[in-house]
Amino acid sequence: EQLAIILRTEMGIENIVRARTWDVYKRGLKAAEQILKKNPKHADTISMKALILNAQGKTEEAFALAKEALTIDMKSYICWHVYGILYRTNKNFDEAIKAYKFALKLEPDSHQIQRDLAVLQVQMRDYPGYVQSRFNMLKARPQLRQNWTALAIAYHLEGNLQQAENILTTYEKSITSTPLRTDLEHSEALLYKNTIIAEQGDIQRALEHLDTDCKNCLDRLAVMELRARYLAELDRKEEAVKAYRALLDRNPEFSDYYKGLVAALGIPNGDEDALGAVYAEYAAKYPRSDAAKRLPLDFLSGERFRTAAKAYLTLMFDKGVPSTFANLKHLYSDSFKKETLPALAEEYLREHDASDAEPQGNGDSSKGKGAALYFLAQHYNYYLSRDLAKATEFVEKAIELDPKNVDFHMTKARIFKHQGDLAKAAEQMDHARSLDTRDRYINSKAAKYQLRNNENEKALATMGLFTRAETPGGPLADLTDMQCIWFLTEDGEAWQRRGNVGLALKRYHTIFNIFDIWQEDQFDFHSFSLRKGQIRAYIDLIRWEDRLREHPFYSRAALSAVNLYLQMYDKPKGGANGVDGSQANGEDAAERKKAAKKARKEAQKAEREAAEKAAKQDPNKAQKGKDGEEAKKKDDDPNGAKLAATTDPLGDAMKFLGHLLQFSPKNIEAQIAGFEVFIRRKKYLLALRCLKAALALNKEHPKILDQVARLRQEVGGVLDSLAPKVKEVIEAELAAVPGA
Amino acid sequence: MDIRLLRASDIPLIQHANLENLPENYFLKYYLYHALSWPQLSYVAVDVSRPPKTPYDYPKIVGYVLAKMEEEPADGVQHGHITSLSVMRTHRRLGIAEKLMRQSPELAMVETFGAHYVSLHVRVSNKAAIHLYRDTLGFKTEKTESKYYADGEDAYCMRLDLGFLREQIREAEEEEKEKKTTTEGN
Amino acid sequence: TTADVEDEAAATTAKSAEDRKAAAALSKLDARGDDDEAATNVDQEAVKNAMSALSSGGAGGAAAAGAAKKEVKNVKVDAGDVKLLVDELELSKPKATELLKAHDGDAVKALKAYLQPAF
Repeated sequence: EQLAIILRTEMGIENIVRARTWDVYKRGLKAAEQILKKNPKHADTISMKALILNAQGKTEEAFALAKEALTIDMKSYICWHVYGILYRTNKNFDEAIKAYKFALKLEPDSHQIQRDLAVLQVQMRDYPGYVQSRFNMLKARPQLRQNWTALAIAYHLEGNLQQAENILTTYEKSITSTPLRTDLEHSEALLYKNTIIAEQGDIQRALEHLDTDCKNCLDRLAVMELRARYLAELDRKEEAVKAYRALLDRNPEFSDYYKGLVAALGIPNGDEDALGAVYAEYAAKYPRSDAAKRLPLDFLSGERFRTAAKAYLTLMFDKGVPSTFANLKHLYSDSFKKETLPALAEEYLREHDASDAEPQGNGDSSKGKGAALYFLAQHYNYYLSRDLAKATEFVEKAIELDPKNVDFHMTKARIFKHQGDLAKAAEQMDHARSLDTRDRYINSKAAKYQLRNNENEKALATMGLFTRAETPGGPLADLTDMQCIWFLTEDGEAWQRRGNVGLALKRYHTIFNIFDIWQEDQFDFHSFSLRKGQIRAYIDLIRWEDRLREHPFYSRAALSAVNLYLQMYDKPKGGANGVDGSQANGEDAAERKKAAKKARKEAQKAEREAAEKAAKQDPNKAQKGKDGEEAKKKDDDPNGAKLAATTDPLGDAMKFLGHLLQFSPKNIEAQIAGFEVFIRRKKYLLALRCLKAALALNKEHPKILDQVARLRQEVGGVLDSLAPKVKEVIEAELAAVPGA
Repeated sequence: MDIRLLRASDIPLIQHANLENLPENYFLKYYLYHALSWPQLSYVAVDVSRPPKTPYDYPKIVGYVLAKMEEEPADGVQHGHITSLSVMRTHRRLGIAEKLMRQSPELAMVETFGAHYVSLHVRVSNKAAIHLYRDTLGFKTEKTESKYYADGEDAYCMRLDLGFLREQIREAEEEEKEKKTTTEGN
Repeated sequence: TTADVEDEAAATTAKSAEDRKAAAALSKLDARGDDDEAATNVDQEAVKNAMSALSSGGAGGAAAAGAAKKEVKNVKVDAGDVKLLVDELELSKPKATELLKAHDGDAVKALKAYLQPAF
């Protein structure tokens, strides 16, 4: 009986949801079984059992039980709540919300259900719903500051800034004792309110609020930055100058502060002397500041540029800063600067040679002459100033000076890559790696070049030198766990080039799933951030998550996947085991199949070996975690054979394409690919939509005219079979497309 | 490069930099945990000069410091901890690591969270890093933790007392107050 | 000396110990502490007044504010047109309905509007 009570209480649900040990599950299951023995139709207990099974990964069983429980007792809020939790953990959020709402109707006072619902609503961006939920929660517990802040956040996200501010003010007025100066939650709430005032556009009031209410806020930098921004916007120049100067004294390496200062000083854009003087002042005040010396190169011209660039290059070469070229190459859009910089480097070399009768004092040949040679090698390797023969000449000179220099060899590999010799490039990069085997950066580069050369197995073994030894499944599993997107992308693209559709798709889907995880990652923070009180950071998170999939990490993998699916649709030949010929060349299919099979075996072998080797090196292997390990689901399609065997490649492509078009509409390659998918699916309006977007982005794109012609031809043939309204729209819109 | 506060949108490329540079890696959520618990403490060095390739480019991270406050300090003293710090191999010798450290633990940790000291771990073989922490920034080695790293290498536990900064801040505040009272007195 | 610092990839971080810390921190993220937190320094009376002001003045406070903002036009839409939009544009039913309503229930106008680049 007691067990029944424990199981049935809300704490029971809570505990199971939060439990991460199998012990709790086992005990729970045992208790549930005992109760069910006596009373097999006990709906709440059946629900609890379902919850435990779900936590153990037995999803189907769990859902069946939960449904059974509901048919026994439709009026049990526990059953509905559990049902909602099952949906939520299986990512069917809409159904979860419905179930929670049912549960809440049956038990309107349940704090826990209300909170679960609220969190789901904000996760799903149902802001009106979230406002309502947070309102209810505030009504239930108005004594908690968190509940006020949460309602303000809900209004803020919904776009009702004024109401958000009101809520915060109302709470402030009800505080009886002055909060301590060290009260971080209070300090952050004030700054949050300040940003809401500014967001409403009332900068004057925001400044006043900042100067009075926020003057003791603990986030000093935020107060200083907001103040400078407000003063600048209000055109209170003198004070803005002071504010930006204070910021620069704190951090003289942030270009925004210099820009703010220059604007506040009212220096006109072309006034190089006045601008230069500002930066010179800070270069003198903070001799170690790089920004103060480098940023003027952006706006100086002619002789002024030459002088400043010479001083800067000399300093960088003397120090041997490897990023010197990387930090200056953006200047190459200016042809004078593009000519001047290498000339200065040559000049440096000549002066160096003249004074260099005696050997270098420090013995570090990456400084001085070596650095200048290195700069010139990169200069001639850069696409705006490319001369690969000269690049080779300089890099060889540098290597001669210091044969063990990793950076020099790295650049040599890049030159090979630009010559189109990917095999030599990979070999050279691996040589660079061998010069410093403890540096993961060069290790990563070596693996990347191996992938560019389609050596997936070798690359994985290279990566395995740094991945964690104890991860079951070897380096690939570790890289997947650690969300190493760059490797997964390059690996997938290499498999694709090799014609292994299965493994290529597998990698792209893995990346897709990582983005799902990243989206899911915000879930806990909806309540966590309220507890921590760092509201501005939370809002920043929400705004970023809203556009998460615009990230080039996503669009690159998604585009590769969509294009691969298009190839599969166009050439649906017998790709057993995902060994489809995706290349259009005449290579024999059987031959390719054999090669891919061999490749797969090699991959497995390399993985196994790397895992074994790593296991031997690992001193902590013994203490592998017991909990959770077993819960990890086994991948039932490790080689992507199922993915490659799809009968609906265009449907599968939509999974990637939808997000691509939604979040990166300005990516012209996405629109081009979208057209190709939609025209094959005979969704002419959507194809036309992609085409119009592509035209708006760049009507010179080489594929556009072809797409226009194809759409015209296809639509022309079926026009009369289209719905009249669709026909009307297509005819009108197509007439407006160029090439008519 | 700019040295500035970390933003949520930087995190994928911070994770990328970490994976490229260091053997100790984390889930994205662990970076989020830092950014949302102590948003004042983590800094990045970003290359803002490169022309964007797409309308959706994110600034390239060439260095970062990921820092936190110890949630339940064993010694009962408020203090911070450097979780991870790295600078791209290509961007060395610009003093980026030092500049990142000057912003994070040396200012924000004290101002916002009242930290008394900051601690970190470093590989005993990492001479450059040890030189930075000990000789440039003034960290002291507390002890050696044997086999701290996955490959069996030992770590030095180092810490920097932040008392001098607390003192500086207090003095500055008092000066400010005095200034105010004298002007008001006039 | 003022010699420049060699900031090699200054690797701190940790394995095992630090890893366990990371795992512990992450598993605590969804801990729920807000229940036990007591109200400390608020004026109960003031809070009560504020709440009632919110409830009446805001009129159901929340719901009303939300509804007021999203004033959806009361336009009749043809079920066939909704289906057409769902099929041709692959929109969800509510989205298709919304799009139609925004264009006075005129399917041709709605389709045309949807074709225009949104940036």
